[in-house]
Amino acid sequence: MKVLVVDDEPQIRRALRTSLEAHGYTVETVGTGDEGVVAAAGQHPELILLDLGLPDMDGTEVITRVRAFSEVPIIVLSVREAQSDKVAALDAGADDYVTKPFGMEELLARSRAALRRKGAGEPDAPILTFGELQVDLAKQLVAIDGEQVHLTPTEYGLLEVLVTNPGKLLTHQWLLRRVWGQGYGTETTYLRTYVRALRRKLGDDAAAPALIVTEPGVGYRWVADAS
Amino acid sequence: MSAVATDRSEPRVDQVSVRALAIGLGAAVCGAILVALTRDLGPGAGVAIFMLAVTIAAVSGGIWAGIITALLSSVALPWIERPASGFEFEQLRDVIASVVFLAIAAVVGLVVGNAAAERRRATEREREARLLALLSSKLLTGDVPDRVLDEFVALLLDPFGLAMCTVQVVLDGHEMSAVARRDGVELGGPTEVLPVVIASVPLGTLSTERPARARSFTRRERELLEAATRQAAVALDRARLDARARLAQLDAETNELRAAMFSSVTHDLRTPLASIKAGVTSLLDVTTVHDATQQRELLTTILEETDRLNRLVGNILDLARIRAGALIPRRVPTDVQEVTEAVLARMRPQLERVRVELQIPEELPEIAADPMQLDQVLTNLIENAARHSPPGGAVRVHVSREGESVRVRVSDEGPGIPVAQREKVFEPFYRGREEPERPGSGLGLSIARAVVIAHGGRIWVDETGAPGTALVLELPIEEPAA
Repeated sequence: MKVLVVDDEPQIRRALRTSLEAHGYTVETVGTGDEGVVAAAGQHPELILLDLGLPDMDGTEVITRVRAFSEVPIIVLSVREAQSDKVAALDAGADDYVTKPFGMEELLARSRAALRRKGAGEPDAPILTFGELQVDLAKQLVAIDGEQVHLTPTEYGLLEVLVTNPGKLLTHQWLLRRVWGQGYGTETTYLRTYVRALRRKLGDDAAAPALIVTEPGVGYRWVADAS
Repeated sequence: MSAVATDRSEPRVDQVSVRALAIGLGAAVCGAILVALTRDLGPGAGVAIFMLAVTIAAVSGGIWAGIITALLSSVALPWIERPASGFEFEQLRDVIASVVFLAIAAVVGLVVGNAAAERRRATEREREARLLALLSSKLLTGDVPDRVLDEFVALLLDPFGLAMCTVQVVLDGHEMSAVARRDGVELGGPTEVLPVVIASVPLGTLSTERPARARSFTRRERELLEAATRQAAVALDRARLDARARLAQLDAETNELRAAMFSSVTHDLRTPLASIKAGVTSLLDVTTVHDATQQRELLTTILEETDRLNRLVGNILDLARIRAGALIPRRVPTDVQEVTEAVLARMRPQLERVRVELQIPEELPEIAADPMQLDQVLTNLIENAARHSPPGGAVRVHVSREGESVRVRVSDEGPGIPVAQREKVFEPFYRGREEPERPGSGLGLSIARAVVIAHGGRIWVDETGAPGTALVLELPIEEPAA
């Protein structure tokens, strides 16, 4: 499993190489955005860890260029002070972000989730099970503990997008376009209303979520693991 | 410039003489007409009437007008009283009477005219004194030098009938100026330029200009202007010294604060670094063998201290951004409930040792706020409450609508904050006296306050009705008009 690390800090490159190699990954590291795009095209990594603060170009620019030829999962590494850059990176096509300084276990968990999504493609089984929750993608049916839950078409559409992108941080804009259509993007109030309705019907507590986690100002993430 | 003023003052002297002549002539003619009309009343009446004319002329036109009237009256008196006289003796008597009358009238004119002039001078002196008193009361108010200059030029316009007044000085290397201009008045009249001297060093000039076709400055006016300028110079000097003193005091306060910040930051940064370094060098030491528990202990410490260091650096950066004025909220419709729940969800590991009670009304309007900044504020408040809570204590988060605002109240069951210190908790690096070594940078609440204020809201410490502290923040639902 090959991972490409794009970061201009040698210490971070060293720490990531050591830790990732210890977990059995093959690691390639580069220090600039340009090298990153070249390596992404030439070496076919299965995952890219991309620092947003690169010396030669904006990290978002790297994502846009890579997305022109590849759907490889990209996890952005950013500092907390660059909140808006983070949203821009996600909107440009990044799969997720991890805030620097991050714990290795968090980065590895996000990496695994991203790789799983890529490997999965279309879910093999049309029925996804998350504990007591069952989502039948073929019949568009949702049940808790065998009891059917009635969802409106929009609620179901939202749920489907969430469960088929597990672990991925989905931005407001992405969700609105995906569920409501291309003309949408800023109507976060709609989105919020439907997420709340969905949580209520699925019995998820927003203050202690088991299914949908809110990232204020950014978007939502489906956190339940399929069993 | 002053040469121009002197030239222009020449015609003025002529005008005054013409005026005295006119008044003198007028008074004499009026007197003569009156005497002619009242001839039947006897010779005494004529003398009395002419004397009255002399007095009036002296009062209104000055000494010379009085003397002119007296002269004309003495000539006219015998001729009007006895036009048909033909006796030598009578004529001689009339000449003697005229001379006596002239002498008396001249004395009366002189005395009355002098008294009138004296009164005019007294009125003028009083006006001058009032102006100088006004200047000193307006200028010596401990204002900054710029304001003193502005006041000064504005005050001169009226008393001196100026169209424009400009002052320019160089104080402590700074050039300063002030201009006052009367609207709708044409420039181009007589000008007067005076030096502004502070502590016998000329530091600038005062330029005055009257409206076009106005009369020149008299010597007295020039002297008064000089006196006013001297007074302004004194006020300016005092204002300068006051400003210097204030600056010095501010500097001292800033230095003190900076020193406190510096020692606090140094301590807070060094402490976790020391723990990390100690832990890592211990683990790297080949001469010591740690068992699994010891290793885990050391590594946990390193991790905790790294997080603490990270929080502190984040807070210091936030504070720096606040100080630099770079904390501008990116307002979007924000659901306070959603942000609050997200914060509680994320902080769950830290909140395990307390009981969290969340209370949010069903219908809560969205507010115009920056969701990430609101997230940070709520994180700081809840973190703070959890840190001060006894184990198992309740951390209550109550959200409510209060008029045009949404209120969030975060309370704990900790030791509470004495009333006197309730404002102090919002100062950077403040920490309760009884807990100097608790983790936390002492910056969370000052950052929270800065964010809330940037949103047009407010934050304060409130009673809980029991031991504990409540921090209350209120954010407007609509973005306040700029």
